[in-house]
Amino acid sequence: MKKKFNLINPQYAPRSWFVVFNTLFFIFLMLAMIVPIVKIFCDSMVNETVYGLKLLPMTVDKETGKQIWFNTIAYKRIITDPALYWPFVISVYTTLMTTFLGLLISTLGAYVLLQKDMPGVKIFSYMLLFTMIFNGGLIPTFLVMKNLGLLDSLWAVMLPMSMNVYNLVLMRSFFEGIPYSLFEAAEIDGCTPMGIFIKIVLPLSKAALASIGLFFAVAAWSEYFHYVMYIKSANKYNFQYKLRDLFQDKQEASEGVDINVNTLKSAAVVVSIVPFMFIYPFCQKYFMTGVTMGAVKE
Amino acid sequence: MANNNDNFDHVIVKKPSVGERMFKYRWFYLMFLPVAVVLIIFYYWPMLGIRYAFSTFKLKQITLRTGPDYSTGLGNFARLMDSDPFHAAFKNTLVLSIINLILAMVCSVVIALLINEIQNAWGKKIVQTVLYLPHFLSWVVAASIFMLILSAGTDATGADTSNTGFINAILLQVGILKTPIDFLTSSKAWPVVWYIMNRWKETGWGTIIYLAALSSISPDLYEAAEIDGAGRLKQTWYITVPSIMNTILVVFILNLAKVMNVFESVFVLYNSLVYDVSDVIQTYTYRVGIVGNDYGYSTAIGLFKSVISLILVSASDVISKKIRGYGIV
Repeated sequence: MKKKFNLINPQYAPRSWFVVFNTLFFIFLMLAMIVPIVKIFCDSMVNETVYGLKLLPMTVDKETGKQIWFNTIAYKRIITDPALYWPFVISVYTTLMTTFLGLLISTLGAYVLLQKDMPGVKIFSYMLLFTMIFNGGLIPTFLVMKNLGLLDSLWAVMLPMSMNVYNLVLMRSFFEGIPYSLFEAAEIDGCTPMGIFIKIVLPLSKAALASIGLFFAVAAWSEYFHYVMYIKSANKYNFQYKLRDLFQDKQEASEGVDINVNTLKSAAVVVSIVPFMFIYPFCQKYFMTGVTMGAVKE
Repeated sequence: MANNNDNFDHVIVKKPSVGERMFKYRWFYLMFLPVAVVLIIFYYWPMLGIRYAFSTFKLKQITLRTGPDYSTGLGNFARLMDSDPFHAAFKNTLVLSIINLILAMVCSVVIALLINEIQNAWGKKIVQTVLYLPHFLSWVVAASIFMLILSAGTDATGADTSNTGFINAILLQVGILKTPIDFLTSSKAWPVVWYIMNRWKETGWGTIIYLAALSSISPDLYEAAEIDGAGRLKQTWYITVPSIMNTILVVFILNLAKVMNVFESVFVLYNSLVYDVSDVIQTYTYRVGIVGNDYGYSTAIGLFKSVISLILVSASDVISKKIRGYGIV
């Protein structure tokens, strides 16, 4: 039932005032979420020493009085300096690889867990779930990597990340939505288990693959701590690591070209969030499917 | 099995033996192989390393190619109990996570209730899109953004304030501050910044589960209440809140199980000047183990943390079974 909007009539006034305040509240809240990001975006395009309250990517040249908009000097530095663009390449590579491996492991695992009659399937599922509540801890895991000779290898980052029990269980709940009769029909027609997996399960789970793939991709793109733990060579760090590095080490950032440190830092932040900003508006529904699916688990 | 009313009693369906079934599912074992390999190598093998918790094991012994020395027994745990940095880390873990947990619950529930009141579908969509956005930024990015907007300036003495961040600039402009404050190196301000950063990043995302619960409340209840003359406020208090109480409790205990896990958000924001309020168990383990190379002692700290976590998870599981009939794992 639609209420009339009227701030004076006592019948409608309380509700109407509430709507006004609610709207103002959410405008404020959205600003609180967005302004920090907008501020960084602007600072990344203003190469001067005083930022203060500036919220426009514009500076006024002191001598000529001309307005300079969208100064891209910091971005030029990022795409020309190997120390800054190479981590970006590493990020792209590890994100793609982790997403692929992650989807491979989750789909295979989830498909096997569907087989209720298979001897040992209960043990497999307990083995998976147990890792959610207990693990060896930071140091024993580190020592295992060391024993395996995986220190300073990107596999030490990608392999553990591609095994995510939560995503695997989520994938299984998606698979459970596929009618069982389809499997039976395919089996009668002489389809092998692998054939069923490739010809029936995967094509019917495109939405699941998209949303769980996005989970893996976002996690891999954001990963930082595994690099701190396992990677030692400068040419294997990802962009998150490099970004953090810029904030901890002031000298390196400002050396050479006359770019203000904070301009470069801001530009690096923008570069690390831009790929996500591109896909977010189009993929929001996939992110949501995953979460609501997880929320109504079982 | 036998049902007397069933006319098919005489039909004996022989269940295939385990061997036959294993043969039938042979390809599935092959498919599970990659999963099992990763699982065993990266999750189960490290569990064997828990034994180092009962040893002295430092890096210099590795270079000498001698293994861990188990003569210490429970010595690491005795050392743990006497260690001031450990006590501080334990206290900080509890304080930071529990206050954050309560703030998260209050903020997300209130905001979910208010989002639910937005009538305009487009408005609602835009609000949700914007509020969910920070969740997808990494902790490194979130911390970087906060460091930039909170920065006091390039100089610690406060003399040169050319890089004064947004927040300090506002406070200076309004006249609340005379000189810029470096929030992240102040023990008083750091926890507040950390709570705000967490709320900035996760509040919107936290509302999703409550919004799902809210959308499943039957509109009949509200119609009935309206006929009975209940106002909007009363409807919220007597219908909406009780309807999502279960969800609130479940989310609360789920998060309670994760109290000991606070790590990356602290790791990217803290610095040596504020260890007294920011050092948590995981960051302490990292510094002792990876930076200090004291593997035995840091494994003991990690084990202590894992055991407490395990207890919390089990307790949450029991409570969850009571509330909603099934556990959390």
